[in-house]
Amino acid sequence: MKLAKYGLVLYLFLALPPVANLLESIMIVHMHMQMPLLIASGFLMGRFFQLKFPRFFEKWNSNGVPGIILFIIVWSYWMIPRAMDEAITIQAVEIFKFISLPLLAGVPLRDSWKKLASVGKDITFVYFILMFLIMGWIYIGSESQVCNNYLLVEQKTVGFGSLAIAACIIIYLLQLIFIDQSEFDEVQKD
Amino acid sequence: MEQSLKETIRQDPKKILGVNPLDAKVSLSYLTVAFVSLLIGGILGLVQGLERAGLIDLPSWLNYYQVLTAHGLLLLLVFTATFSIGYLYANLSHALGGLLPKVRKFAWVGFVLMIIGVAMAVTMIVLNEASVLYTFYPPLAAHPIFYIGLVFVVLGIWACCAGVFINYRHWRKNHPGQVTPLLAYFTMAVFVLWFFATIGVTIEVFTLIPWSMGLVETTNVMVGRTLFWWFGHTLVNIWYLVAISAWYVFVPKIIGGRHFSDKLIRLVVILVVVLNIPGGFHHQIIDPAISQSIKFLHVFMSLSIAVPSLMTAFAMFAVFERTGRKLGGKGLLGWLKKLPWGDVRFLAPMIAMISFIFGGAGGIVNTSNQLNQVIHNTMWVVGHFHITVGVSVVLTFFGICYWLIPYLAKRKLTPKMNKLGIIQTVIWTVGMIIMSGSMHIVGLLGDPRRTSDTTYGGHEAAAGWIPFEMLFAVGATLLLIGVIIQVYAVFNMMFFAPKGLTEYPVAEPEDDATPAPMWTERWGLWIVLLLAVVAMAYVVPIVDMILNAPPGSPPIRTW
Repeated sequence: MKLAKYGLVLYLFLALPPVANLLESIMIVHMHMQMPLLIASGFLMGRFFQLKFPRFFEKWNSNGVPGIILFIIVWSYWMIPRAMDEAITIQAVEIFKFISLPLLAGVPLRDSWKKLASVGKDITFVYFILMFLIMGWIYIGSESQVCNNYLLVEQKTVGFGSLAIAACIIIYLLQLIFIDQSEFDEVQKD
Repeated sequence: MEQSLKETIRQDPKKILGVNPLDAKVSLSYLTVAFVSLLIGGILGLVQGLERAGLIDLPSWLNYYQVLTAHGLLLLLVFTATFSIGYLYANLSHALGGLLPKVRKFAWVGFVLMIIGVAMAVTMIVLNEASVLYTFYPPLAAHPIFYIGLVFVVLGIWACCAGVFINYRHWRKNHPGQVTPLLAYFTMAVFVLWFFATIGVTIEVFTLIPWSMGLVETTNVMVGRTLFWWFGHTLVNIWYLVAISAWYVFVPKIIGGRHFSDKLIRLVVILVVVLNIPGGFHHQIIDPAISQSIKFLHVFMSLSIAVPSLMTAFAMFAVFERTGRKLGGKGLLGWLKKLPWGDVRFLAPMIAMISFIFGGAGGIVNTSNQLNQVIHNTMWVVGHFHITVGVSVVLTFFGICYWLIPYLAKRKLTPKMNKLGIIQTVIWTVGMIIMSGSMHIVGLLGDPRRTSDTTYGGHEAAAGWIPFEMLFAVGATLLLIGVIIQVYAVFNMMFFAPKGLTEYPVAEPEDDATPAPMWTERWGLWIVLLLAVVAMAYVVPIVDMILNAPPGSPPIRTW
């Protein structure tokens, strides 16, 4: 529960107008820092909801698949340039961002990840690798502005940032595959 | 019950057999190079101090910037790198029960490559073809051979990295469910940092080679500087991590205590590894081409390194108090008196730790945008790194020598040598207080760094700096005396001290300590986090610098 409180503090911090303004003023920070941090705040707060509504999660997310699909859909939605543009120009969309990312992406991710079978995790990783690679390609390659609120150079920056994230996930996946994970299991010392 | 001899040999061969002689040779070779370069670098330091104070005039074949470049390169790069590699390989050998034969080969290959590289770079400096200062970023251009020499140095470091990673993997595979010994853990962390730090500088140097040869006309100065500081600042934290490995693991044993907490120590190591590379930006806080908001975000990243530092400070003083009280210290500060101040193995690292309080405070000044405007490129900065590297790191290294070298050479630390060590430590400390203190003050008065002559035609503001510059010379003289004593002590302990057995003072955990959790061993994860943090920090400014690049700079030779 301590983590849930940290999550709430993080959420409130991110919602402070000067913080939100600063983070949204740089395209890549908006997309690849503010949004993941909102998800992280939901992820941390997830424990609170799991304890408060155990039956709900049991009933609707028993194997983790619905939750992870919701997570994927919500996060992918926010990768669409127009969604980001509207978050800046329309107040209601900004509010929706602050509700959807923690509650509809962070919380389900918390509930689903441990329930997912390894094939589900692999599919999720591969999906995000592909998504970030394609995004990188589009954002770097596009000759015109895809966001009204950000300059072309910022857009290319997001492209390179997405490639960097994809590279990090690929490296993480490779070390999962090539290092025997049972090495890290705790062994009781007698 | 006592273990039988056979069992002890099987389970813990080092207790009886000492370090493997072949491994000791590796470490001693690195340490020899380290202290030879300390001697040369130290002499150059004094020459520079005297020239700056106007007490000597350098002959026409040797100029101030040449001396400054060699002093920086030999001490900041060669001395610290070779010392830490020698020390860490000894730790690795001790902690894992000997190096694998192929790992030893890697260490020797690294040694040879580094020697070749340093010889090439230093030759170019001596020929006055590479007075680019130790930061060697563009637009100052050195002779291509200087850069090629640096490539060899990096290759040597990579060979050492490969050796450590191989030995670590080998041990992990054969010890499922066990955490690696603390010393091996530190070694792994330092070499992970070495590897990722040198990637930045390698890219930089590879762009500079064709540029200095004239094959390409211009280079992007901002990208070069950024890549340099990616490396430069990480190097700072490599020294820091090497120093705290001694503080955490050896100092508690020397004062007769236990180490603080395995878990906390490993957490500090992980935080330093993951967080430190973006700190490089605070060296560029005055640079154009990085937007204000990016600099602001970087303040967080730079200052985040204060978290593990404060954890270290807390843990170390907790160990001191706990041990002092156990030894009978009474009252609020009585435990301080119980610490072994007469033991150079303790005194040197202790002064190093105390100086880090001042060094750290100065570092916060350097990182803060507004304060940095006052001190940027003044002597303050020089004072700052002489107190951080020159005391916090180097005195720790000196303290390590007094047990590591006799141990490796199978000799003893005599009381006489201990006394000499104490004298050396005191001379060094006084010299550094005088020199670094006056540098800090005169920096605040505006005296620029990296400038051979600062009389400005006798202007009265510049005249006010002269007494402080005299103090640099006084401090530098004391420091050179310190260097000579230290080099004498090192080679005496290596070749002439009486034969005998010296302890490898590794502290044990407290009896009721909980073992470190296995997740701390997930290097794959820590490296991915490191890369993610690097990406967060560097993608925006570097893309900006490349896409909005100015025309670029041709090679410039100012000397």
